Amino acid sequence: MPPPSSSVVDSELWRELFTLEQRGVADRRALDELLGRWARARGLSAASLDQAGSDADAPSSSSGDDSRLASFGLETGGDETLDATLELPSGTLRWRQAADGASEDGTGLDADSLLLAAAARVCGLKRQLEQETFQAMFRGVEMEVLHEIGRAIASTLDVDALGEEILVRAVSLVDARRGALYLLEGEHYVLASVVGGEARPRLESGEADVAALEAAPAEAEAPLPGAAHLLGAAVEVDGDPRGVLIVADKESRRGVGPFVSADRRTLALIASQAAVALENAKLHHLALEKERLERDMELASEIQQKLLPQRPPSVDGFEMAGWNRPARQVGGDYFDFRPVGNGRIGLTVGDVSGKGMPAALLVSTLHSALSVLLDRGEQGSAMIEVVNRHICESSGLNKFITVIYAALDAERAEVEYLNAGHNPGVLLRASGTVEELGSTGVPLGLLPSATFEEATLHLEPGDLLCLYSDGITECAAPSDEEFGLDRLVELLAAMGDRPLNEILSHIDATMLAFADGLPQGDDQTVVLLRRLP
Amino acid sequence: MTESLKLTVDERDDGLAVVYTDGYINNQGGEEIAATAYRLIDAGHRKLLLNLAETKIVNSIGISILIEIIEKMLEIDGQLSFCCLTPTIAKTFHIMGLAQYAQIHETEEEALAALT
Repeated sequence: MPPPSSSVVDSELWRELFTLEQRGVADRRALDELLGRWARARGLSAASLDQAGSDADAPSSSSGDDSRLASFGLETGGDETLDATLELPSGTLRWRQAADGASEDGTGLDADSLLLAAAARVCGLKRQLEQETFQAMFRGVEMEVLHEIGRAIASTLDVDALGEEILVRAVSLVDARRGALYLLEGEHYVLASVVGGEARPRLESGEADVAALEAAPAEAEAPLPGAAHLLGAAVEVDGDPRGVLIVADKESRRGVGPFVSADRRTLALIASQAAVALENAKLHHLALEKERLERDMELASEIQQKLLPQRPPSVDGFEMAGWNRPARQVGGDYFDFRPVGNGRIGLTVGDVSGKGMPAALLVSTLHSALSVLLDRGEQGSAMIEVVNRHICESSGLNKFITVIYAALDAERAEVEYLNAGHNPGVLLRASGTVEELGSTGVPLGLLPSATFEEATLHLEPGDLLCLYSDGITECAAPSDEEFGLDRLVELLAAMGDRPLNEILSHIDATMLAFADGLPQGDDQTVVLLRRLP
Repeated sequence: MTESLKLTVDERDDGLAVVYTDGYINNQGGEEIAATAYRLIDAGHRKLLLNLAETKIVNSIGISILIEIIEKMLEIDGQLSFCCLTPTIAKTFHIMGLAQYAQIHETEEEALAALT
């Protein structure tokens, strides 16, 4: 044991204190040294110097223990109690006598003890300054985070990435141990991101109330099971709920505790910024999705246009032409001309129930089936019965196709036709009479075992056959009046022997004029066949 | 994200050790890093590199513990460097003043070249 000294002050110690100060290191090491010299001078086995009135909530930047300023002869992390206490102006000195009962104790406010108190005061003030500087700098981080989230509104458009970023920033900013972000999807709040532990994957809408969540955090059904302290903020856009941001268990160096009012303000600020950012990202996502769907529809429209014949086949003594205008980008009407063997030409007009993409898909099915069978030379009712069974297998409930099919034998000037539930075709004789090509069977796709009959008619020079879809006759005027078959027959009769393409152009213009600006309600198709005079 | 921080230590020659963190640097995570750093210092390492590539989040308690480790390294004339920080953590470190006493590098290669 070194001989007791009358004073712990020596130049070496002050030099060391000064050096440490210049290096910007906390002066705890110097204070430890000073305490050690004080304790050794008194023959003590252990001593500690604790700060008076330390701020328990402030994070420490210089010590693992918020109140201890210096220690001598104590095992790190040990739960040691000391035997004697001396209150100093700046803190508390605690010590234990050496085991051999050394001569001096630590009692009495002598000059050395007061010097130690002064050093402790300086150290405490320095530490307080460090803590306040730390807090001030962390407010800088807080400002930066809020600024960053604001900037993310304009730059980050990925909802998942944005959700994680917002949660990570919220959790770190309020020193939470855990956190979760739930976003409203339909009736439920779905977990979008989680930090620091498990969270329930889904909350019912009644469970996302912030006040209720905070009131009963330890329940087994809590969003963050096992958390002791919850703080929540609603994510809202114009008062409409979009989600809820939850953080749990505020950390300090001694463990976890409840959040403070400043944390609630910070979380609410982040939640309001998050709401705008997430809404922006969601709208962008929807716009992209819409754009993609529109591109798909354009592509589908192009594909469907390619299903229609580019030009009619040339047949001596006859003229034929077709026209189609879908009500939407893609439609449920179909027409075709194609050689079907034995010098015959098949003309088809089909109409799928419904409109848009579902109808267009069934049009493709009809086109494939008819093309394959007709190209293989299949004919008449046997051919259409195979198509019917195929459509029955391919189409859903309540989906059917009406079809009128006419096979022209140009040499005999005969037309053999089948009408599967379609609008009657009209034949305007050169003599001025009008005949209808009525139904010879049920629409395709309703009954797999359905049978179809064929009918035959002879065309005289100047006769005009018109096959059409109900989009023509049921075209509505603003007065709710339908165009009707009579007007169509009148129009065809009035056009006389004008070229077929001219008649089709006239039908096109007449339909638009009749609808008078009303949106087109159904797909419109016309196929014309004339025996030249 | 995991419940607690995972640490991997690569002890190299010349008193250099690289510590890889994976997870949240909070009170628990920070204490684990500190315990590992002090064990490495006791084992004679004087140059530590903290690779934070797999850490996306750090709070103020975690930062205060990292500052303690920096102070400890300064006391023993050692050197602590960081690398592979996310932009958010890098900005936080600069605001909190860690960059004044510890070097911050973008890549591990760059950090190792500066330390050796």
